[in-house]
Amino acid sequence: MSSDAGSIPAASSKISWYQKKILLNQKKRSSIFLWIFPFVFFFLGFSSYPQNQPFLRLSVKDHPSLSRVLIESSIPLSFSIERSGSFLFVKLRADKPFRIQRRPFRSRFIKSLGWASGRDFYTITIRTQHRNFSYDSFTISDPPQLVIDVSPNGGEERREESREGPKRISVETNKEERKVPSASPGRKSIVIDPGHGGLESGAKGKFGALEKDITLDISLRLKNIIEQKLAYNVVLTRDKDVNVSLENRAAEANNNKAYLFISIHANSSYRKEARGSETFFLSLNATDEEARRLAYLENNSAEFEDRIGGDNEDDIKMILWDMAQAAYLKQSSQLAESIQKELNLLLGTINRGIKQAPFKVLTGVACPAVLVEVAFISNPEEERKLLTEAFQNNVAQAIYRGLVNFLRRYSQE
Amino acid sequence: MDMKRLIYVGLLLVLLIILVIIFFRKGGEERIKPASSTTFPEQEPLSEEPEETTQITLFFPSEEDTLLHPEVRDIIASSSVGIQAKQVIEELIKGSQNGYISAVPPETKLRELFITEEGVAYVDFSREIQEKHNSGSSAEISTIFSIVNSLTYNFKSVKKVFILIDGGEKQTLGGHIDLSRPFLPQHDLIAN
Repeated sequence: MSSDAGSIPAASSKISWYQKKILLNQKKRSSIFLWIFPFVFFFLGFSSYPQNQPFLRLSVKDHPSLSRVLIESSIPLSFSIERSGSFLFVKLRADKPFRIQRRPFRSRFIKSLGWASGRDFYTITIRTQHRNFSYDSFTISDPPQLVIDVSPNGGEERREESREGPKRISVETNKEERKVPSASPGRKSIVIDPGHGGLESGAKGKFGALEKDITLDISLRLKNIIEQKLAYNVVLTRDKDVNVSLENRAAEANNNKAYLFISIHANSSYRKEARGSETFFLSLNATDEEARRLAYLENNSAEFEDRIGGDNEDDIKMILWDMAQAAYLKQSSQLAESIQKELNLLLGTINRGIKQAPFKVLTGVACPAVLVEVAFISNPEEERKLLTEAFQNNVAQAIYRGLVNFLRRYSQE
Repeated sequence: MDMKRLIYVGLLLVLLIILVIIFFRKGGEERIKPASSTTFPEQEPLSEEPEETTQITLFFPSEEDTLLHPEVRDIIASSSVGIQAKQVIEELIKGSQNGYISAVPPETKLRELFITEEGVAYVDFSREIQEKHNSGSSAEISTIFSIVNSLTYNFKSVKKVFILIDGGEKQTLGGHIDLSRPFLPQHDLIAN
């Protein structure tokens, strides 16, 4: 056989490539392995690829009552989940870098998915649409998957922090009429909020004065004055040295259907010279688009209240409630002005204007609300003054006068 | 003889295919790495030549008034806004060279900074920014807007600033200003 091919060299140049290949096969069988070689390598290369590089596949799917975040991988996952505000942080251990694929999605409850990598871990950041949510997580081992279900609160399962926010609390109490025992029903309430308390002592003075003590003292004095002279109930968000969360302070006001909300604080600055009183109302850090929406609210606060009082607990209402103060900015600025005017008179300050800042405690309050920074505890001279009964009484009186001036106008509207 | 040539050609082809495979597999690995860093600015390769610098403006409160005062400084030039923004924050933590007040506690470390497509800069500080902070409304306002204004002033692509602490969202620095929403710059706080 082999001599055949060799004996007809002239003909061989005329046979086709295909035929040559057959001839070759017939003659030297071993050489076929040379052809297989690259293919073997090729497939080896493919199959070994995922082993070198584990992957993470992130996807989100909406179900009627929840959004499901699915984290699929090629290797078993060890993880921990941490919650903070509207974020869930999923920390995954990783000895090798992951190849991460994220499927684009649109979800009602999940705003965004992101990731960051550390030395030997990855953090998947799940941002939810609302702060008020609960989540549940479980794993499936084959193939390795981590499933995180996120649902807005109102669902049956409630996790830690789920009571967060004045919104839900207040919405509920609005529904069942308030059961909070208050001195005389029928009277309107003024809510006074002594800043800080408990472990959270606020600013500290050089001589050791604590903001939380001063705010409580002045608040108690202000409460006495109002109760003696006006036909309002006065509710304190705390009447002793205890921790109260910022949301619960706003909730306290809303649960009591507060007519006015006054938060009392003592200021602290990096500037040694800083002195005097300042009265703040809320600024919202709003973009143009948000500002338009908020302006709408301000002009339609009646409709806004209807919506809060209504029964359907939909998303829109939650958002509105979260920014309840937005509907009262105009009145709040008037209240601030009225109080600041009296404080200026008391302290002989040349007109120090009112200020606007995004104070957490004011955002959820659904009535005119201000925050009074009585004086600077960081200024040794003012710190000493803040500790005296006379100054505390004077400040309480000044706030009271500002309040009365405002009420005269506000209740006529 | 013809047969031998065929075998050589075959061997050459094999070699070529192997080379191609090696090339692609290497390429594949390299393609993977950036996947984990797409949301973050890449590390700048260290170069031997003297680095090019660019000028940025930081804002610090002062003893004189309640405003924020500009202080110009050079940072290493980079095409990545993320890398430059990190340098701005790190310079801010180092404090003023002109005797202004440093409103970010010097023990603070910048953990991470990233800028979203929507123009929100997420700035993640170590917990010292909260623990070493001299709580009080005015102090909180100084700290926050010294950070926010410094970033938005230098980078057109940064519209808002979201301050994170220790990798997560915190309510406030010391019980006053709301950190759970991104901040817009406050231009009226800037001194002329």
